Amino acid sequence: MTSEPIVDAKLAQRRVPLIDGIDKVTGRARYTVDLDHADALVGRILRSPVSHGNIVRLDVSKARALEGVIAIVTGDDCPYTYGVLPVAMNEYPMARGRVRYRGEPIAAVAAIDADTAEQALALIEIEIEKLPAYYISEDARAPDAVLLHDNKPGNIEREVHHEFGDWQAALAQADLVREEKISCAEINHAQIEPHACLAEYDPLTERLLMQSVSQVTYYLHLMLSRCLAMDESRIRIIKPFVGGGFGARVEVLNFEIITALLARAAAGKVLMALTREETFLTHRARPQTDVTVKIGMKRGGKITACTCEVVQRGGAYAGYGIVTILYAGSLLQGLYDIPTLRYDGYRVYANLPPCGAMRGHGAVNTRHAFECLLDRMARELGLDPFEVRRANLLKPPLFTLNGLMVNSYGLPECLDKIEQASGWKERIGKMPPGKGLGMACSHYVSGAAKPIHWTGEPHAVVNVRLDFDGGITALTGAADIGQGSSTMVAIAVAETLGISLDRVRVVAADSAVTPKDNGAYSSRITYMVGNAAIDAAQKMKTILTEAAARKLEARPEDIEAIGEVFRVSGGGEQSSLPFHEVAKAALVDRGAITVSGTFTTPVEAQGGKHKGGAVGSTMGFSYGAQVVEVSVDDATGQVTVDKVWVALDCGHAINALAVEGQIEGSVWMGMGQAMSEETRYLDGLPAHASLLEYRVPTIVESPPIKVFIVESHDPNGPFGAKEASEGALASFAPALVNAIANAIGIDLDEIPVTPDRVMQALIDRRRQARLAQSVRAAS
Amino acid sequence: MSTLASGLRVAHPHSIEEAIAARAQNPGSRFLGGGTDLIVNMRRQIDTPNALIDLSRVDEMAEIVAKGDILRIGAGVTIASLAGDASIAPYKAVVQAAEGIAGPGHRNMATVGGNLCQDTRCIYYNQSEWWRSANSFCLKHRGDTCHVAPQGQRCHAAYSGDLAPALLVFNPEIDIAAPKGCRRMPLADLFVEDGRAHLSLTEGELVVAVRLPAAPPPSAYAKVRVRGAIDFPLAGVAVALTSSGGKVGSLRIALTGTNSRPFLLADTDRFAGRAVDDKLLQEIDRLVQKQVQPMRTTTASSNYRRVAAAALARRLVAQLAGQGAA
Repeated sequence: MTSEPIVDAKLAQRRVPLIDGIDKVTGRARYTVDLDHADALVGRILRSPVSHGNIVRLDVSKARALEGVIAIVTGDDCPYTYGVLPVAMNEYPMARGRVRYRGEPIAAVAAIDADTAEQALALIEIEIEKLPAYYISEDARAPDAVLLHDNKPGNIEREVHHEFGDWQAALAQADLVREEKISCAEINHAQIEPHACLAEYDPLTERLLMQSVSQVTYYLHLMLSRCLAMDESRIRIIKPFVGGGFGARVEVLNFEIITALLARAAAGKVLMALTREETFLTHRARPQTDVTVKIGMKRGGKITACTCEVVQRGGAYAGYGIVTILYAGSLLQGLYDIPTLRYDGYRVYANLPPCGAMRGHGAVNTRHAFECLLDRMARELGLDPFEVRRANLLKPPLFTLNGLMVNSYGLPECLDKIEQASGWKERIGKMPPGKGLGMACSHYVSGAAKPIHWTGEPHAVVNVRLDFDGGITALTGAADIGQGSSTMVAIAVAETLGISLDRVRVVAADSAVTPKDNGAYSSRITYMVGNAAIDAAQKMKTILTEAAARKLEARPEDIEAIGEVFRVSGGGEQSSLPFHEVAKAALVDRGAITVSGTFTTPVEAQGGKHKGGAVGSTMGFSYGAQVVEVSVDDATGQVTVDKVWVALDCGHAINALAVEGQIEGSVWMGMGQAMSEETRYLDGLPAHASLLEYRVPTIVESPPIKVFIVESHDPNGPFGAKEASEGALASFAPALVNAIANAIGIDLDEIPVTPDRVMQALIDRRRQARLAQSVRAAS
Repeated sequence: MSTLASGLRVAHPHSIEEAIAARAQNPGSRFLGGGTDLIVNMRRQIDTPNALIDLSRVDEMAEIVAKGDILRIGAGVTIASLAGDASIAPYKAVVQAAEGIAGPGHRNMATVGGNLCQDTRCIYYNQSEWWRSANSFCLKHRGDTCHVAPQGQRCHAAYSGDLAPALLVFNPEIDIAAPKGCRRMPLADLFVEDGRAHLSLTEGELVVAVRLPAAPPPSAYAKVRVRGAIDFPLAGVAVALTSSGGKVGSLRIALTGTNSRPFLLADTDRFAGRAVDDKLLQEIDRLVQKQVQPMRTTTASSNYRRVAAAALARRLVAQLAGQGAA
């Protein structure tokens, strides 16, 4: 560990608006399409009209001859794959030889205006010899199915088989063993800003400037270098303001590479602004998932064993698939004490847009199935849902069976908070007809402890600068995509230096000036970048303290810095210096100061030794629990969420206002997946590719959300903090489904619980009741 | 006539007469109300007018006037003003329908005439040019197959307007302006059970007003959809019921979202004189299920739309009867 743990019980919670909030609400903030593109060419992408096939002929000559067309690129212009894991990059920015989903890029045009670009696309001639296409996992896995990728038998991208402990014996010792198969529809991030990037290539200096909606500019840097065969030092990446990510922009996206290729081919500047439909087609979100989970339980609720099979329909290319299928198994652990476990995961290829990372990456659908089954078994055993969870709490510090490190654990307090606030004990079982309460728990990592690209460098580096103006500038490669990470960095620096927040300026995600960072994924920024920021600020503080000590003729260890004043501890007015005088003193002889802070995870935090054991490992888990109150209309199948009580253990709330916002956002996004969001395809064409058909909840559906912040003070977190943006998401859907069961006595095995699904379940129950009656009548 | 940056010409008439003339002078043009339906369809290239006749400056179409035993609603009245107008309050179904249309932004822009004349909808039709082209287009636009019912000869796109059923239960008439003069007909005759040509208007005709009879019976409107805003109805039902001494006087039920046109449920006369009890409600349920024809034009199943339409009809009839709808 490079930074000393900081646990300061006196540290007050701050509630500050995001430092870039004013820019956003006044419209000053410049998002990618707002950047100056007056002299830019317009980029457009030709997309495959078929789901699966071999490209027999591709002729761009007519398009190239059109006046106003400056550049055209095809798969021939980029023979390099791109992707996430070095071992699983099987995707070209534009198809080469074969297309595997409707919407896959085939060629692209840069022209003087949009009309010309559109006309050029229409002039491209393409002939595709169709191959059989598969849209559900079962079809793709059939023995006679055509392979999407020749080296992937059975159309399986990755199988995972993990066993921990003698689960068979443990099942035999259980008093109750139950199994459920639960299905979760594919969903999408639906971030409000459609994809866009602006690429500028200077043929004289052979340099590329890329401004894009990236969550991880470092990955973009690597992949542009790889796919354009350019030296990394000739590429500069800047992230402008970004309107949401949720995982959509963690991996490098095809349009970014295509735009860079176009800019180089055109020897100029190209703006690529995708439509909402294209943004949906780019996808990389949560896969359709079938979870078959079995639990063995003692009469008192103690879990003896769990077995779980997960099948994810991953789409046409690898993307993050291997990581997602590993997360789905590894994060069965870390929330409760599960003494034996078997996990079988299958990531399946299908002729649909590739899936990827999405908020709660890999964990959400497994957690949903597990929490639903837990409730059903509790009911069967006559146990309260809270009690069954309390019977399985962890006792940290510990390492789970699969090697996950748990040091702080606020779940018990989360349970207490929502149980009391919702009036659970008084109300459960006494709700009027059609109304119900349900609850569930969840957790998430505070940053993946092992980065995907192992370089030996620290996980995070933050530079802090001081110059003659007395301003403190924090430089970080971490991408603020709306989650407030730059504000977190500013607070960490200001808090450590004892200066006011508005003295700190944060410059983020510009590869020419900010240190490399692994970016905005796996909720890593607060924990890792926060610690690095504190480390840098402490180094700056040492320099300032020494300068103040020299001026005040005191020992550095006697200097304290509070409220922008450095003073000798216990001294009077004359033994103190305002910040700007200390800064001036520090600059004497050496000039502008830049210090560098780092954060690195220790090896013991990096997961088990088994294959794939690093996925799921983290320095600390956030813990969440929520109660959902619903009304179900049994005539129309419509479900209304009346209220939500949610508690999240985020270690320490560095900015309580932002933490509350993130928790509400998690609940809300969980609600979307649980109630209405769903991507559906008609023979591989998206039926959902607009914000009308992709049903993100509106303010009408948004219930009152009562948020409780629980602080377990993680020993290694920055000020004791852990992540706050993902942990509360996964408990919404199971809490809702459990509440519906409580309201109408029906266990739903599919999400989202759209009115037609609820109605179908009601119809099925009536039919079964009639059958049961007629059987009785006949016997 | 002005020209937009896109090259599209827009006429801005100030009277109905000018509007009709402008439309006649520009074959291939379309009337533009609030644009909440037309502009979206133009962006998707499923509607490709060569000019627009903007009706927003035709003041005579933007009034609600009570005259004698008729309440005349101009087709240019916005949905938001309609919902808030005191003279509409007695027509409860209309208020409820108007309040539930799309979202607040849409209601501020969209008009009564535009809502009544909105295009029919289908998951194979309301898609981008790339999408429809990849699917060989469809019977409604540029293609020759209805993907919803490939064996059939007609387009099944569903009518999804909320106002039409809510108005239909009051037996209104509409005024239509045309190059050849004005005509008047029952609102019910505006609609045709054909997703490709669901309006009986002829070239150049414009719906200018809806005429509601005074002294409306008690009424209500309800619909089902996945979200409580924005979404079009999967099924919408309006009911008007008079009763005396616990017996049905007259009962009218109109539906939307289930067929290519909004329609009045046939055969409700037979309920006159009956008590509103479970048996009656069950009969209404069956009658609705028999007459609606939802097809796979939405991602929700057609059976759901059938069952939900019937459930809403039962509920509204029971509600109105319970309110002592006398």
